[in-house]
Amino acid sequence: MDSERTEEYLEAIYKEQNKGNPASTSFLARDLGVSQPAVTNMLKNLENKGLIDYKSSKGATLTDTGVEKALGVIRQHRLWERFLTDILGMKWDKVHEVACKLEHLDVPEVEERLAILLGDTDTCPHGHAIPDKDGNIKAEKAIPLINFNPLQRVNIIAIDESDSGLLRDIEKKGLKPQVIITIKKKNEDGSLEIEAGKKRIRLNTKQAEALLAESIALNKSATKEEITLSKLDAGYSGILKEYTGERNLLGRCLSLGFTPGSVVKMLENYNSGPVLVKVHDTAVALGRDLADHITVTRNGTA
Amino acid sequence: MTEKINERTITVALAGAPNTGKSTVFNLLTGLSQHVGNWPGKTVEQKTGIVRRSNLTMNIVDLPGTYSLTANSAEEQIARDYLIKENPDVVVAVLNAASLERNLYLVAELIELSPRLVIALNMMDVAQQQGMKVDVKALSKELNIQVIPIIASKNQGIDELLAAIEQEYSQPLGSRDLKHIEYGTEVQKVIDYVAQLLDDAMTAPYPKHWTAMKLLEGDTQINKMIMGRAADEQSSSLESYLWEHESAAVTIATLRYAWVEKMMAVTQEKPPLGRVSLTERIDRVATHPISGLFILLLVLCLIFGLVYSIGLPIQKLLEVHLVESSHTFVSAHLNAPTWVKGLLANGIISGVGTVLTFIPILMLFFAAWAFMEDVGYTARAAFVTDKFMHSLGLHGKSVLPLVLGFGCNVPAILGTRIIDSPRSRLLTILLTPLIPCTARMAVITLIAAAFFGNAAIFVSIGIIIFSLIMLVITGLIMNHFVVGGEDSALLMELPLYHLPNPKIIGLVTWQNTVAFIKRAGTIILSVSVIIWMLSFIPNGDINTSLLSSIGKFLEPLGRLMGLNWQMMVALLSSFIAKENTLATLGTLTGGQGVALTAQLKTMLTPASALAFLVVQVLFIPCVATVAAIRSETKTWRWPLFTIAYQLVLSFVMAIIVFQIARLL
Repeated sequence: MDSERTEEYLEAIYKEQNKGNPASTSFLARDLGVSQPAVTNMLKNLENKGLIDYKSSKGATLTDTGVEKALGVIRQHRLWERFLTDILGMKWDKVHEVACKLEHLDVPEVEERLAILLGDTDTCPHGHAIPDKDGNIKAEKAIPLINFNPLQRVNIIAIDESDSGLLRDIEKKGLKPQVIITIKKKNEDGSLEIEAGKKRIRLNTKQAEALLAESIALNKSATKEEITLSKLDAGYSGILKEYTGERNLLGRCLSLGFTPGSVVKMLENYNSGPVLVKVHDTAVALGRDLADHITVTRNGTA
Repeated sequence: MTEKINERTITVALAGAPNTGKSTVFNLLTGLSQHVGNWPGKTVEQKTGIVRRSNLTMNIVDLPGTYSLTANSAEEQIARDYLIKENPDVVVAVLNAASLERNLYLVAELIELSPRLVIALNMMDVAQQQGMKVDVKALSKELNIQVIPIIASKNQGIDELLAAIEQEYSQPLGSRDLKHIEYGTEVQKVIDYVAQLLDDAMTAPYPKHWTAMKLLEGDTQINKMIMGRAADEQSSSLESYLWEHESAAVTIATLRYAWVEKMMAVTQEKPPLGRVSLTERIDRVATHPISGLFILLLVLCLIFGLVYSIGLPIQKLLEVHLVESSHTFVSAHLNAPTWVKGLLANGIISGVGTVLTFIPILMLFFAAWAFMEDVGYTARAAFVTDKFMHSLGLHGKSVLPLVLGFGCNVPAILGTRIIDSPRSRLLTILLTPLIPCTARMAVITLIAAAFFGNAAIFVSIGIIIFSLIMLVITGLIMNHFVVGGEDSALLMELPLYHLPNPKIIGLVTWQNTVAFIKRAGTIILSVSVIIWMLSFIPNGDINTSLLSSIGKFLEPLGRLMGLNWQMMVALLSSFIAKENTLATLGTLTGGQGVALTAQLKTMLTPASALAFLVVQVLFIPCVATVAAIRSETKTWRWPLFTIAYQLVLSFVMAIIVFQIARLL
């Protein structure tokens, strides 16, 4: 369909423009898999509609209307990606392609309800910001990991999602948005050695380019409310912080998966008697005494 | 390859967490060839069995279900000691595909011991129902371990598993490059430092690095062993280093779970989120403080209904047709001296009879029990009652054995095996005899009816409530003063509900019944013979026998409760079986059962009748119960303690009741 095509062009131009360059004809031809003359044709068409400014020597940039339209598509794309991973349980390397199809659905009510269903998520599974419904988007300050230097501590913000093989490799290394890493060594070719969670990881040049990160000093982490597990209401989930109870029960708690950083979802809590939680995929009953000695940070409904 | 394994016998250990269907896998592999015993020096059940596969004989050892190999419990210590000390040829890790994340933790620990490892990925069907997709090939590739998908409840994949075991055995040990967890340089440094403080002699038979890690993880058993072996100086420097690195336990576990998460990312797709599983939906009702209790009550009513409507008639039939008829046959047709006839009829036959008539009821209780375990309900019952049970120092899981005690104390005591905290289990065992069983209730009903007319029902109920109050008080006393050790907090997995497997229920029922006959049968039989001898010696008349002498000797004590020597003898005879009270009274008073009520009225006043009911309900447990306590606690200490305690409790309470009632 014509409008679908238009949306894809706008999206591609937006992404390129966001990196600071106008989108050249050759770039668009490669990215969208069409011939250069076809691109030129389409760009002229878009210019006529007032969506882009086009100079054949430099390339295309979006007009304000164009930006608005592109953000609308991007919003839908990223919401759908979230839906596919969080609700349908798909892997993050598969969702980009599916979302490329779904983003053109463009039914305002579906978009609105999708946003409600997903709650307060503000990034796609790969870490890119989702524009709000008025077309505002948080500026992406993250830069490719390859630009950082040894000893810098950085927070991974996002990952370029276009190559699903690359995504799988990165996932296998245990890297995802919000993982904090330290650059240990930078090689001539741009490949990196980093440390995450006390573990050494090697990244090749391609991976180091695809990972977008922010220096840790710039990233103000919001302090979240900390409560005991026994105070978490049913239906809510939290991230386990620490166990403060008797040492002799620590081993049992750990082997059942109550490790710091684990997501704990409260299934049943009647404010007296034991609680029932879900941790690492299994339901576990905990005496109230024990739940009183485990602290979590609230994580919203899951 | 084939020449090497001609006619070989190998040992295969099954390791796995609870609720992975490990025992189902074991039962399928070994069928009835299994041997049930105890781990040396432990009250934990040990099951072994044999599988033959062309030239290869596999001795299968079912390790206790454990989440990890750190000794947090007797089970975990047994499992890891077996793996390290006995060095099984192949280890099969049975995992639940529906909770792979939890189960891979154990794999992480098993890899550290570098055995020949095969993974049996069980419950593939349940995982699918839950909407989880597990990529078996990817998992196998990532771990570099054979992974065999199976559905044990449907008997699928067992042959493939056996083939994999055989194939794994054909590989030289250590030829597979198992991917050990990388703990990162910092943690590794700490582990290495601890290992440096140790030497091989100190840690034998455990590997040195492994021992170092367990010390850091806070493993009490390893810690005790090392501190015991180390020189003073060595142990103090070790201790202070471990204390400094107290958080290492958390770090190590966290890194293991991070490893698990990485595995999961590669191999499993999560189910759609919006979907609430059937288990979760049932649990909303079954674990609710009100509806949950209601369901528990319903389940218990069903069990008792089943036992009473099927078990009691069978029990009666056995009694009439087997025990009584052989009794009559011996007395009437056997040509032998009186004492031989007496020994046969009243000693041996009635002893065997007691064991025999127990069996239908026991089997039904065992079957109901196995059913609830298999379906996954026991954990819910424990959840609902945990709060109350906890106040008595008991575990939520204590509730089922205790309630079963109303039917018969014996299966109740055997049923305490589901309680994993040893302390709560002991407390439950000690409290169970204070639950009035059906036999005791029968005696109470009859005597109350004889004395209290219309009020009998209230008196009977009153006595039962009184007995339960005594139970609560005893629980509080034992919890605080008698049984040592730490209070155990509730921490248990609630398994997914699943359809019961009749084959497994049948097998478990059979095993428990055989175990009961073997363990308790002999004790019951010998006590029956002894009591018979006491009633026979010296001249064959119970009225002048040793037993009556004992009764007469106890008469002064009896008088304090308003009881004559006949009543005391009747009470003593309830040791064999509670319902014997009535039979003995019948013999002693010379009358037949019909006249017993009238006879009782001449011997007792309402006050002494009340005292008798009290002493009867609290009196020492029957011999079958004592035998069960002995076999479950593995020592005579606790059965003797129970006898002494209940002897004192019953007499003191009866005296108090009689003295007060007499004044009214």
